Amino acid sequence: MPATASQPDPVLQMTGISKSFPGVRALDDASLEVLPGEVHGLVGENGAGKSTIIKVLAGVHVPDAGRVTINGQQLAEPTPHAVHELGVRFIHQELHLVPRFTVAESVFMGNEQTGVLGLRRREMRRRAERFLADQLGAELDPGTLIRDLGPAERKLVQIARALVDEGGRLVVFDEPTAPLAAQEIGRVFAAIQRLREQGVACLYVSHYLAEIAELCDRVTVFRNGRDVGRLDSVDASSHGELIRLMVGRELGQMFPERTARSGGAVAVATKALGDGARFSDLHMEVHEGEILGIAGLPGSGREELVDVLSGRRRARSGTLELGGRAVRLGSPADALAHGLALVPRDRREDGLVLDMTATANTNLSTLDRVSKYGLVLRRRARERATQMTQRLDVRPPEPDRIARLFSGGNQQKLVLARWLAADARVLVFDEPTVGVDVGARAEIYRLMSELADHGTAILVSSNDLEELLGVCDRVVVLLRGTVTAVVEHGACDLAGLVALTTGATTGGDPLAVATGRSVAGTDGDGS
Amino acid sequence: MSSANVGIGQRPSVGRLGRLLARFAFIGAFAILIAIFAFASPNFLTPGNLSNVVEGSVVLLLVALAMTLVVASGGIDLSVAVALDFGAWFSLAAMLNFDAPWPLAILAGLAGGAVVGSLNSFLIVRLGVTPFLATLGTLFIGRSVQQIGTGGGGNVNFRAAPDDFRWFAQGEVFGIPVDVLVGAVVLVIYFIILERSVYGVRIHAMGMQDAAARVAGLRTNRYRVAVYVAAGITAAVGGVLLSAGLRIFTPLAGFAYLLNAIAAVFIGASMHPRQRPNVPGTLVGVLFLGVLANGLDLIGLDFNLKAALQGIVLVIALASAAVVSRLSREA
Amino acid sequence: MTSAATIPDSAPRPWARVRQFLIRRGPLLVFALLLAYLAWQSPVFLGAWNIQASLTQAAPIAICAFGLVAVVMGGGDDVVAGGIDLSVPAGAALATAILSDQLTNAGASFGWAMLLAAGAALTVGVVNAILVTRIGLTSLLATLATLTSVVGITRVLTSNRRINVDDPVVLMVRDGQVLGIPNSVWLMLVAGAAFTFLMHQTAFGMRVQAVGGNREAATTSGIRPRPHIAMTFIIAGAAAAVASLALVARGSGSSPGVEDLLVVDMLLAGFLGAAFSPRNVVTIPGAMLGAIFVALLSNGLILIQVDNSWILGLKGVLILIVVSAAALQSRTR
Repeated sequence: MPATASQPDPVLQMTGISKSFPGVRALDDASLEVLPGEVHGLVGENGAGKSTIIKVLAGVHVPDAGRVTINGQQLAEPTPHAVHELGVRFIHQELHLVPRFTVAESVFMGNEQTGVLGLRRREMRRRAERFLADQLGAELDPGTLIRDLGPAERKLVQIARALVDEGGRLVVFDEPTAPLAAQEIGRVFAAIQRLREQGVACLYVSHYLAEIAELCDRVTVFRNGRDVGRLDSVDASSHGELIRLMVGRELGQMFPERTARSGGAVAVATKALGDGARFSDLHMEVHEGEILGIAGLPGSGREELVDVLSGRRRARSGTLELGGRAVRLGSPADALAHGLALVPRDRREDGLVLDMTATANTNLSTLDRVSKYGLVLRRRARERATQMTQRLDVRPPEPDRIARLFSGGNQQKLVLARWLAADARVLVFDEPTVGVDVGARAEIYRLMSELADHGTAILVSSNDLEELLGVCDRVVVLLRGTVTAVVEHGACDLAGLVALTTGATTGGDPLAVATGRSVAGTDGDGS
Repeated sequence: MSSANVGIGQRPSVGRLGRLLARFAFIGAFAILIAIFAFASPNFLTPGNLSNVVEGSVVLLLVALAMTLVVASGGIDLSVAVALDFGAWFSLAAMLNFDAPWPLAILAGLAGGAVVGSLNSFLIVRLGVTPFLATLGTLFIGRSVQQIGTGGGGNVNFRAAPDDFRWFAQGEVFGIPVDVLVGAVVLVIYFIILERSVYGVRIHAMGMQDAAARVAGLRTNRYRVAVYVAAGITAAVGGVLLSAGLRIFTPLAGFAYLLNAIAAVFIGASMHPRQRPNVPGTLVGVLFLGVLANGLDLIGLDFNLKAALQGIVLVIALASAAVVSRLSREA
Repeated sequence: MTSAATIPDSAPRPWARVRQFLIRRGPLLVFALLLAYLAWQSPVFLGAWNIQASLTQAAPIAICAFGLVAVVMGGGDDVVAGGIDLSVPAGAALATAILSDQLTNAGASFGWAMLLAAGAALTVGVVNAILVTRIGLTSLLATLATLTSVVGITRVLTSNRRINVDDPVVLMVRDGQVLGIPNSVWLMLVAGAAFTFLMHQTAFGMRVQAVGGNREAATTSGIRPRPHIAMTFIIAGAAAAVASLALVARGSGSSPGVEDLLVVDMLLAGFLGAAFSPRNVVTIPGAMLGAIFVALLSNGLILIQVDNSWILGLKGVLILIVVSAAALQSRTR
């Protein structure tokens, strides 16, 4: 794409984009600009509007206001087809590959090359191999099956599929390195460098500030639905600036006051715990009456740790102790038998049986207590459910309403009601306030604090760092499968915690952090 | 996707009426069917004929109840046909070959059903084979075992069965045929378990959202095993009744019941507010199919034509149930 | 819980590789051992006559299996509500009955009779397509229901009796040979080539496999699942039509109940065929090889005078082995 030396026309220009959903203003007069041949970073916390503006560009959401111009062509309403025609390609977070297909077949999926005798397999193989080698610097045998490839190679195949038709002018990468191990990232980086050499622009969306600093020419920071700043040159020293722009907001009185906690018995302990895939050699302790937070980006092992603790996944190494006793958890039922209950991140899929009533859901784990000779005692079940839901102030107070019809916050409370009824001693909250409105959030934090005051041990795994800092007594930070820091309440501010989870150090490199070297800015020990 | 909106309940009132209509679609069809047959044949609405329908539906009811339990738990069981056959065969064989007293013979029949159910639960729970493939395999094996055991598919005759055994199919208690009584008892048991007991709540939860049931601490594996074994036993009860009535065991007789049972369950589910398989609905479905068979008989259709028509009606019934369920859900 | 759509990491440990091999090629091993046993027990097993007879008998099995494979490819063979078409043999039987009836009773020309028969089989395929893609029944239920109806209709047509055929075209298929290979075997080979081209060598075929392999991935690549799935059922109907010619030749007419055994054999052949493919998925050539294996097995067992009932039992067990291996595979995947 020809461009004058001093003032190249942008390949993408989005100005004044606004988009609202019921109850939430996702984008508020946001703008974004990408120059040809540059790698442009897009950063921001969850909910800042990054993914929404990408979806507007992809034609998935129709903006309420604003202009989108691609290669000089203004689009009234971007549609997937139009945007594709103008040279925009998307590398989604989900791979969308077929495990039993070969590399060549995957690269040409939806774009099969045919001739008189049907599929031109040899040509597809040749082109796939050549594209991967020349444009992406990857030496891959085109006959390999996707299911036999490692994550980085699969990512490269996904990229090849998007670009093989050679019409790409702007490639949008959405969290490309999240599932990758530290050593594999280099391959994706090399591919992106190659693209830049060919004059293809890249929009790189990521949480990992270290990577942003290394890879990008310019970076736009989003916060609260708009672009709040742009750095025209980035390097390792820019972390502070980036974080400042990402975070700058007031913490309201969302979180209850926590009195200093110490000396409770150890309720949960892990020793060298590993799941054989995502995390290993994990040491952690949670005391009765304590609220422990677990922070970590997607891919850090945080989700898998929660799965192991709750019995949904088996540990492969190390031990898990509940109430001082080593346990082997084969299922969530086993965990519950030891008093550990999970409030899952996907409450609609895993937390509640949506088509059952509030009463049924509340009593589901303790049916034996509301039955006689195996028969459900309806009145007692109702009473028990009402008791729990009143305590938690579930609204509307209709015990016969099916769970599907309650709002997100109240659904969360229904899950809690069930665990209250089951006298859970350890509660593991996985992303507790996703999709929950502000008022209900404060309530949930208050409930957590109360439960802890009564002796329950609470673990909170969350993407929302503000939440962790506000409600937890301590926060454990996971990065690429290991614990890299433990932070006491009040010892760290939001910027500091962001730095810890993204592996941003003052001048270090991501690889060093991944191997567990101590990180500047922590106060707690790394046990 | 409207994921942001869902959870805040707002049911449009028009949709509500539509949903209600959809749910009662089959009741309506049932009424129409009765009307047609009553018109076509003067013998249809006689008490004698109607009690024939009821008595003739007992075996199908038992198989359909077994299927209801399995489908409610989130699976399917194609091998109920074989469990039925085993029930009939084992009980007759026990008396014929081992001179067993009739209570023991009945137990042997039930054991046959339990064997089928155990194989299913092993394949499904232990090996992780999907229910349809697993029970399909069991179906094939069971069929061949029957053929082997009866030396190539011949009937097992037992005309001189003890009267006590015959009484099960032909006797009466207070004017009600014993087999109908047995059917009624099993019906009530199933109703209590599936619709009123803690086990039923857990089974429904498993069938609706297995992942959520597991997180809630339900031991879904154990329940699955119990469900498949219970289904096998229930179908075997039907087999015992069948052999008691006919005193002949015809191998592979069970297959005919399979599809009817599935249809009855789905018809029943379409009548439920949340499209769940349920005992009362299954009963309606069974009676619907029983009336259909009876009516076609009375009209005097050729045997083959009757079979063909039943097959076609089955397809229509399944398709309608699916459409009705979808409409009820979307409205 | 990480979504089921994420592809798990590979890199199996040493002993796990042995286990993986057993799961992937186990059914094949079992079959091979059985055949070896048969060859050992019966001197004529590997003789020309037996081979030829087996190949001839394999023809209808193979062609029905081609239809099954097409549907399984599109529906995914390791999915809960996966693709399957149990009605192919029934459709073939119906077509056979129509063909026989027209040729013998109505005195129609071969062309006309075949046209009617093919039309019937294709109609069954269309009904399946509608039931699955429009009405939303699972493949299992839909094809089970059509299977029952079609069997009933066939019975009406034949009054549940056998129909003899001595039409010259049929006799030629049954008895004729070209280059030493029986015509029905040619039928199988030609059909095999055609279906292989369609399902493995065209863009359509590749898209069907994409839909079956990862529906979401296919959709985001711009491939619409429903039309492709519908098409597979119609292709299965076409397979039933072609199979009817082989059936009519093999049986010299139409006999009631022929679809019964064919269902078992077709399933065995189709799923066993997966063990032949390097990727361990159902394929057309694999199904053809599978059908030949199944026919050899059936004949061999008869040769060593195993009772008929036992043969069925053995096949039932084999189906379970094949099916369990498939289940274990998708679990470890």
